[in-house]
This record gives sequence, structure tokens and C-alpha cells, in this order.
Amino acid sequence: MLGLHSHWWWNRLNFTKDKFFKLALATVAVAGLIGCGSGGSDTSAGTTTGGTDKPADGGNAKKRPEMTAAGNTAKGDEILIGLVASQNGDLRPWGVDCIAGAQLAVDEFNKANGIPGKKVVLRIGDSASKPEQGKSAAEKLIGDGVLAIVGEVASGITAQMAEPAFEKGIPDVAVGATKTTLTDIGNNVFRVCYTDAFQGPVMANFAYNELKLRNVALMTDKKQPYSVGLSESFKATFEKLGGKIVDEQFYESPQTQFAAQLTNVKAKNPDGLFMSGYFPETGPMAKQAKEAGLNVKMMGGDGWDSSEILNTGGEAILGQFFCNHYNNLEDRPEVKDFLSKWKAAYPKNPVPATTMGALGYDAVALVCDALKRSKSLDSKALRDAIDDTENFKGVSGNITLKGNGGNPPKRAIVVKLTPQGQAFAKAYEPGDIKN
Amino acid sequence: MIYLAPHLLAGLDFRTLPEQLVNGLFLGAIYALIALGYTMVYGVLRLINFAHGEVYMLGAYTALFVSYYLGFGPASNATHSSAVNLLIMLFASMTVCALIGVIIERFAYRPMRNHSRIASLITAIGISLLLQYGGALFLPNSPPPSINEQVNPYRGSTSLVIVGASQADKNAVGAAEPAAATAKKAFDDYLASHPMESEFQVSKAAEPLRDAARDTQVKLDNAKRKVATSGVSITIRYGELIIFGTSLVLMIILTYLVMFTKRGRAMRAVSHDFDSAALMGVNVNSIITFTFVIGSALAGAGAMMQATLKGSTISTFFGLLPGVKAFVAAVLGGIGNIPGAVLGGLLMGLAETTVIWMGYSRYADAIAFVVLIVVLLLKPGGLLGSAKVEKV
Amino acid sequence: MFWLKRLASMVVAVLGCFVVDSLIRHSFGDYEQRIIVLAALYVTLAVSLNLINGITGQFSIGHAAFYQVGAYTAGFISRRYIHDLGHHPPPIPWLIGMIFLAAAAASLAGFVVGLPSLRLKGDYLAIVTLGFGEIIRIVVQNTDELGGSYALDNIPKIQPIWLTLLLAVTCIAVCRNLIKTARGLTFLAVREDEVASSAMGVNVTGVKVTAFIIGSAFAGAAGALLAHYEGLITPTTFAMDVSFIILTMVVLGGTGSITGSVFAALFLSYLPEYLRGLKNAKGDPLVVSGTAIIAGLICVVLAVVFIKKILDAGRGSPKSRGFTYVGIIVAAMCLEPLFSALLHPVKSLAAMQIEAGQLRMVIFAVTLVVLMLLRPQGVFAHHEFSWSFVRKLFGGRNGPTTGVAA
Repeated sequence: MLGLHSHWWWNRLNFTKDKFFKLALATVAVAGLIGCGSGGSDTSAGTTTGGTDKPADGGNAKKRPEMTAAGNTAKGDEILIGLVASQNGDLRPWGVDCIAGAQLAVDEFNKANGIPGKKVVLRIGDSASKPEQGKSAAEKLIGDGVLAIVGEVASGITAQMAEPAFEKGIPDVAVGATKTTLTDIGNNVFRVCYTDAFQGPVMANFAYNELKLRNVALMTDKKQPYSVGLSESFKATFEKLGGKIVDEQFYESPQTQFAAQLTNVKAKNPDGLFMSGYFPETGPMAKQAKEAGLNVKMMGGDGWDSSEILNTGGEAILGQFFCNHYNNLEDRPEVKDFLSKWKAAYPKNPVPATTMGALGYDAVALVCDALKRSKSLDSKALRDAIDDTENFKGVSGNITLKGNGGNPPKRAIVVKLTPQGQAFAKAYEPGDIKN
Repeated sequence: MIYLAPHLLAGLDFRTLPEQLVNGLFLGAIYALIALGYTMVYGVLRLINFAHGEVYMLGAYTALFVSYYLGFGPASNATHSSAVNLLIMLFASMTVCALIGVIIERFAYRPMRNHSRIASLITAIGISLLLQYGGALFLPNSPPPSINEQVNPYRGSTSLVIVGASQADKNAVGAAEPAAATAKKAFDDYLASHPMESEFQVSKAAEPLRDAARDTQVKLDNAKRKVATSGVSITIRYGELIIFGTSLVLMIILTYLVMFTKRGRAMRAVSHDFDSAALMGVNVNSIITFTFVIGSALAGAGAMMQATLKGSTISTFFGLLPGVKAFVAAVLGGIGNIPGAVLGGLLMGLAETTVIWMGYSRYADAIAFVVLIVVLLLKPGGLLGSAKVEKV
Repeated sequence: MFWLKRLASMVVAVLGCFVVDSLIRHSFGDYEQRIIVLAALYVTLAVSLNLINGITGQFSIGHAAFYQVGAYTAGFISRRYIHDLGHHPPPIPWLIGMIFLAAAAASLAGFVVGLPSLRLKGDYLAIVTLGFGEIIRIVVQNTDELGGSYALDNIPKIQPIWLTLLLAVTCIAVCRNLIKTARGLTFLAVREDEVASSAMGVNVTGVKVTAFIIGSAFAGAAGALLAHYEGLITPTTFAMDVSFIILTMVVLGGTGSITGSVFAALFLSYLPEYLRGLKNAKGDPLVVSGTAIIAGLICVVLAVVFIKKILDAGRGSPKSRGFTYVGIIVAAMCLEPLFSALLHPVKSLAAMQIEAGQLRMVIFAVTLVVLMLLRPQGVFAHHEFSWSFVRKLFGGRNGPTTGVAA
């Protein structure tokens, strides 16, 4: 059947028997050469091995590898801060938003003359939604002399960027990377968002205790680690609370046809649907679920947060809940201030398109704040200053990095979608959730 | 295989099978519509038009802009729409896509016609990248917009009941309704008189009221769901029905064009033998342009319907996944073969939903390729095609 | 004598890689080193795909799949053995072992994909290879042991630069030597005409499958190096567009030309990185307005149309045509600001301020289309680099008349 009756490989072997012998000889010779040479080249391998002795996965030990390299020092009257974000590729909406927020923070800081006589300059590197490109961008920025790197939005890309940053002694403040183990890479990695280990349990608690849901189905975007992680943590807590996950269906963004998955879900008769993906998919999903006759409560994570969600989800999304960092209608001064500044700076998009607008702003504002407190204008001092951050008043809530191993315990707000926007439903403080 | 069979069959829910088959057909209709564009272009030019998915994407953007023009912007409160609006959008998308298809053919593919096919293919990939990344600079995509659903008057769905729910279940709903209504009214009245409290933050005193409202509502919902899920029924979304119908009509028109008109005959001649057709007096250039017009217009129609009737979010990557799947569908049916593309599209839709029905939704996107490889190994020319010796 | 020569050239190659390695490490920063390593991997990938696509004429567009198989095989085992179990094997021999293992795994995959090529032709084969790539990606994405959709991380980073260079050199040498032998001629024969070559006694089946096996083995080896270089690999690293870029390198360089594949791989991996660093005179990142972009596109289209016209007409001496081309390009560059100014009234365009780095994928795509339109046979067509051409270039006497006619 496979057309191999001619035994061509035997012909081949016979044909080249002597050549094979000689080739083997040559291989041995080369191997020997390499063996001799490896003594000398060991060092070259060793230098690139730098960051491999990381702690075991998910270890509870808060001890993170400490960065030893000298890092960069500010030269002249410009202080360079690097920002890695996706200007191309499928994460572009989040990347562009993050850049807009970050730029806002830098402009504000410079206007207020944050570091007298010096100017903070934001250097942007495009990760094109790909980890290896993100790493190239980070390497380039580090080579350009940035004191700190901000980014990325996605965990996979952040992990790639954080390693060269660790080896060079540059702090990295991740914007929206929620993967829990991410900060284990080194003591140079921080984030301004909460982790999967917090957001999922918040929604699980809310679903179980407030919405009184008992049978929930999950819809997970298999392509986005964010969605996979969130679904996992939701599932774990919800089951621990006594609820039941009746079904989990998967899809792959940017797929927006969910009829078949929803038919399956419907047959399992759930009373809630947890959709852990991003709004471009969950919006149409809500519409299609409603049309399928699934009159259930729908919930999601901060991936839902967008100025576009009401349009994307239509009427079906009204009255549904998701977990957010802040709420557009909230009357905290930071939020009001941020939104008015945003409106003035970007009249074409008067509100941040995604949650990364606020998080990007917070991340850069936090670095700038640390710059003020930093003992000297170099990476190492800046890292220590960032690590010492206490009660930083960010748009997305108060951020305390001191003693938290890079993961700030943050407040989460569950909001309900109404025609006016996001109405406050319930707030969860970090202590409210026990894992 | 024998060992696996009981394992595979164990969790299957045959009650949902009819609905899933309908889902599959509806899904396949869109694939078929896009696949037709691939297959027609391939038929005449022997070129995999990788930019076809991007033409599809631009069709969705056209529909978006036309919907803005019609007064259905993202923030608009307009609610009265009619079929006329949809037809305008459909027509606009088809026209713009046809135009774009022709432009691409004229400037990117025609100069390449006398060169190797693989060179044309790379040009097509280049155009596709250009539209994806260049489009991202000029088209609204951050955040990815979607068309205001109000422009579509045909929302919602209907249920075709095959086996109804039991009377006892229905009675249970009736029994739960009054209690829920009373409890809800009591709690609403309380909330109306206490503006600082909400469902989730109430004073201690009002908690019993709230809990009563919640519990009765939960009971009612459960009863309702039991009715909804106990029988066997097929949920048909109006939007998908329209898509299916429109696709059928467009395919019938296409078949007529290709099989029964002079131009169609010329097209088939070009597809059969480029040079001989030219010798027989067929204006090859105009036929190829015509092919691109038709194929791109079909993609435009598919994109408009997908974005409007299914409410898909639009971005510059809108055409990537449907494009690849439709391409697979075209090859599955035998690329270059028009009925084959339709068959391939429907088969792909069915294969995908079947896999999801079996509970393997995480592999739904891979199954298209598995089916493809299996079919091609058994029938190297696709289902309806014939394998010819070609050179790259 | 012949084998002595062969052995000597191998030794020279290895030593050369060592020398270049130390040169690179001493004279470049980490960012530049990274570009070089990735470019070398792309050279390996492009040359190995060229063996399948260009030399044997089998239309494969899913090369990233083999890359992925190699990377995940090596990455998984290394992570398991070194990171999880805590062993400390000597890095270089271990890595070389991993390379061979990855190559074996990838060539097994290549064998599996190559089998359909016995029955499938042209585009049908293409879609099968593409589909195979997608299947691999989705399976990896759904396998938690392989890191799922997040990443396979904690792979020991033990890859030195010279090994990457050596792999690229080996790949080039194998392919070059292959087509110089009688055995290699059968590959070319299969590309030119399967029926005729099988009538001449060529084992068409064997040739096709061998091409797939060798080509995918090198891609797998490149994957192993990538895994040990990055320390973390994700499914998106091997998505469909990576396959397309590798294919583009092959075609852009000239299908069948190893030299072409090498240069195209270097060019296409350097271009986006070059565009990343675009700066204005003040040293700040370059910012372009929307009008300038549209005007630039119009000028590119115009220039291409005119050059194409002259190219197709083929009149005049090469020298005078060369002057015309330069003239057209200069004219286009002069017209660009003019068009840009004309477009200025379009408010929404004029208000757009786009950082040049954001444009890099667009420029990449435009370059691709323009090069393909102007030179469809690829930059090197089917020619190879030869010393006689270099001699001719520098005005020396013609050697054997096999020089590049480009």
C-alpha cells in the first residue's frame, strides 16, 4: 500500500556502504574534536546558562533568585524606560492600549517635573504578539540602556522578556500577565495586576455565594493561556465550595462560532456559564448563548473589560457579571482623574479600549514613582525602589509590592453590565479569598 | 479501534445530535461560500489565493462602515431596522469585495501569470500580510469593533420540538411562577425604598427578603431549564437560517452562471485549458477578472452575514481562520470543482460539530485537517476532483 | 585523498564556527547575538525546506511543524532530565545528543508527511503539510505535559552560538554535496519530470521520502537548538505564519538555489529587526504620519509598475536600463513628499502618528510583494554562488562558463 515494495532503502544502503563507513569515521573525528574543544567552550555555554537555576514550579518558597548583574545607569538628562507591547499581531488591541496608558503616565510625570532636571523617555519595543519577538524587543531595549522594562500584557511573552532582564539586572514590571508562577523567574519581576490564583476564586465565590449558582459550565479559549489559567482556578475554587462544573467546552480565538459548544452546554442544564476568554469572543458567545435558549447567568474575568463589550455582547451581555480591577463609574479620585486625562489626551477614543489602558498607566506610573524614591538612577537601585513600593495609589487599586514577591495583593471588583456601563456589584479585598 | 469504540461512545448525548447536525450544516454554509472563491480562482489560474481571507475581512469592515452610515453606530440607540438595511449592507460588501478582488488580481497576480505558480503564491501571501498588518493601521481594530446588533431585525431563535417535555415538568414551572413573582415584588419594593442598597449589599434586616427572592427565582429557573432541556428539540437561530438560505440562493445563482451562460462556458473552458481557450477566442483576461469578481463577492456576502447575523467581532485577522478552513474545504471537495467546494464546506462544518458533540471541542480545529488528510489519502484528488499531475 | 580533503574541510568548518563564535561574542551585544542566532536557525530552516521544495519539487508549506516537533522533543527531554530530575550532564555532548534525537523525531514526522507525497501532487500535498502543522500545534496546545497553550519552560539554556552556526553550515554542506552527486541528480530529475525520471530508473518514491526525511531532520535539529537557546517555547512560535515565512525565504532567494535560500533567510530575518531600530536624526524613534504611509505606498506601486514595464519590454542595454531604474526610484522618492502634501487635507490621515517600528510588518509585506513582482524567479533564480562569478565580478578572466547570469 505504501509503495515500498522496491526496498529502496536497502538499495541505498548497499550503494553507499563504503561511504557510510567513512562518514561514521568523520563523525567520530568531529565528535572527538568537539570533545576536546568543549573544555574551552564550556565557559561560553556557561555564560548563557545564567538564569536556569530557578526554583521548582509552583514552589511555595517566596525566595526568588536574586539578580546580580549591574544593569543600566541613566546617562545625560534622559531616563529611559522600556515598554514591550504588541503593536502587531492578534494582541494588538491590548498592546496599543497599554502604550497609550503608559505614554499618558510618562507625560504626566514629566509635566510634574518628577525628577528635577531630567526627563523620562518611554522607548517602545514591538513584540508582535510573539514571545521570541518580545525577547528580541527586550534585548534591544536593554541594549539601548533602559533602566527598567514594562510589559508585557501576555504571560508567555513576559516570561521570555523577564529572563534576559534578569541576566542583565533590569527590573521588569509586567502589565497584565496573570500567570501565577511568573514572578518565580527572579526578584526583578513584578506585576501590577492580580494573578489567576485570585481572580478565579473571586468569581467562584461570587457565583456560589452571591448568585447562588451550583451547576456551572465553562467556556475556555484554548489558545490563550490567560483563559486556560482562569478557568482552572475558577474550577478549583468552585468545586471546593461545593459547586459542580457540569461541562467544559473549548474554542480557539479568533473563532466566533459557538453554536455546537453551546448546544452541548445546554444539554447539561447549567445555571451559570463562566466564559474566561477575551471580549471579542465572549461577546458573540453571549449573544449566541441567549439565542440558543441558555437563560443563565454569565460571568467572566477582566478580559471582558472593554469599551466595546456592550456592543460586542449586545443585549445578551446586559445583566452579566465580570471581575474587574476598577470600575469606570467608581468615584475614587484616581479613576476619575485617569479617565479625564485619558479623554483629554485621546479624544478619538475617549475611554480606554481595554483594561490594559489603566494597567499600562499604573505600571509606568509605579516605575516613575519608584524613580523618585530610588537612591540612584540605575537599574539596581530602581529595582529596590520598586520592590519597596507600599500603598501605591493606582487606577486599578492600591498596589503594595513590599514583601509580596512581586505579586501585589489587590482588590477585585465584580461589576454588572448595564446599558450605562459597569455597575458596581461587589468588592473583594485580598484577604476575603482564602485558597 | 475496537477497544476505543465503547469509550468514545460512552458520553454521547444523542438527544442533541439533531441540533448539532443543523449547527454543522449552518456552519458549513459559510465555509462553502468562502471555499467557492478559492476553488473558482484555482480553477482558472491554478493559484491558491491566500489573500482571499483578507478580502473576506475587508467585506466585514465594509459592512461595519455601511452600518455606521445607516445610523447604527456603536453608541446609537436606533432600534428600527429592516431587511432593506441588511440588503444594502450585503450589496455594499459584495461590491467592495469584488472591486478589491479585481484590484488584487490586476496588480499582484496578473504580472505573475507567466511565472512559476509558487511565485504567485508568495505574492498572494505577501498581499495577505500587507492587508492584515496594513489594515491594522488604518481600520478600526483597537478595540475590535462589532456591528450593532440592532441593525439585524432577525434576532432570536425558534425551537423545533421533536419530543416535547413532560407535562409534569411544565406544571412545575406554573407552580413556581407565582411564588417567584411575589418574592421578587417584595424585594423590589424594599429596594425602591432603600436607594443605597443593592442585591449584593443589603442590610441585615432585608436579607430574608432578598434570599426569598433569590431562592424562588432559582427554583423557577431550574424548572424552566428542565422543560427546555428534557425533550428533544432543534434550536434554529433566525440569523443562521438566513445565512443558510442566502448561501443556497447565491450558490444556485453561481451554478446557473457557470453552467448555463456563455461567460460560464468560457470560464469552464479557461479552467480546462488556458491556452486552448484563448485560441478559441475566449478573452482570458476578462474571464479571470469575472472569476475574481464572483469569488470575492461571495466572500463579501459571507463576511457581511457572519459579522451582522452572527455578531462576530471584526478585526484585521477576521479572515484568517475562516480563510484557512475554507481553503481546506475547497481541497477536500476537490479544488477547482464548484460542487466540490460546497460539499467540502458542508462536510467540514459537520465534521467540526460532530467532534464537538462527541466532547472533543479542544480538538475541533484539528479535525478539519484530519478529515482532509484521510480523504486525500483515499482519494488524492479530493472528493469530487480528479488528480492530475502538476508541477510546482 | 578525497576523504582527507573532505575531513579537512569539516575540521575547517568546525574551527571556523568556533572562531566566528568568539568574534561574535566579543564584538556584539546580546541583542545582536540573538539576531545572529535566530538568523542562523532560519538559514537552516530555509535551506532544508529548499531541499524539499526547491530541489525535489515537493510543495511543502508546513515546515514549522518539523521545527516544532524537534523543539518540543528536545525541550521536553532536556527539561525532564536536567531541570526536573536535577542531573548535570556535560552540556555540549548532551546538546548534540538532543540535536540528533530531535532530528530523528522530526524526520520520523517527515517520513509520515512524506508518505502522502507518494500519492499527492502539488497543492494537495501543500495543504496536507499545512494541515499536519496545524494538527501538531493543536495537539501540543492541548497537552499539559508540554506546557499547553502557555509554554514549555525551564528548558536548560545551554546552547552556544557556534553550534547554531555549525548546524547551518552542515545543512548547507549536505544539501550542496547532495546535488553534486549522482544521487542528488535524481532529486533534480524528480523535480523536473517524475514520469521521465522514473522511466530512467529513478526511484521516485525513495527520492521524495528521502528529501522529506533529510529536510525535516534539519528543521528538527534547528528546533532543538531553539529550545535550548530560548529556554521556553510556545505553540505560537511555530504557527502557520512561520511556515509561510520560511517558504517565502526559499522562493524569494530562488527556488532550488541554496545560495538564494541563505541570503533570503539572512535578509528576511534581519529586515524586521532593522526596522525595529529606525531612528530619526535626533536619535529618537522615527514617527511617520498616515499621509506619508499612503503616499509611500502609491509611489511604490507606481515605481513597480514602471520598472516592470521596462523589464518586460527588455529594450536597451542593461546599463541604460539600470540608469532608468535608478531614475524611477529617485523620482518616486522625490514624489513621495509631494503626494504626502497633497494628501494633507485628509484630516484623519494627517493626524495619524505611527511609530516606524509599528510599520515593520507592513514594510516586510511590501518588500515581499515588490521583490516577487520584479523578480518572480527569486533573487538568485536557480543559480548558485561560485568563485568564477566573483572573479568575473571583479573584472578577472572568466573561469568555467557556469557563472551567475544575474
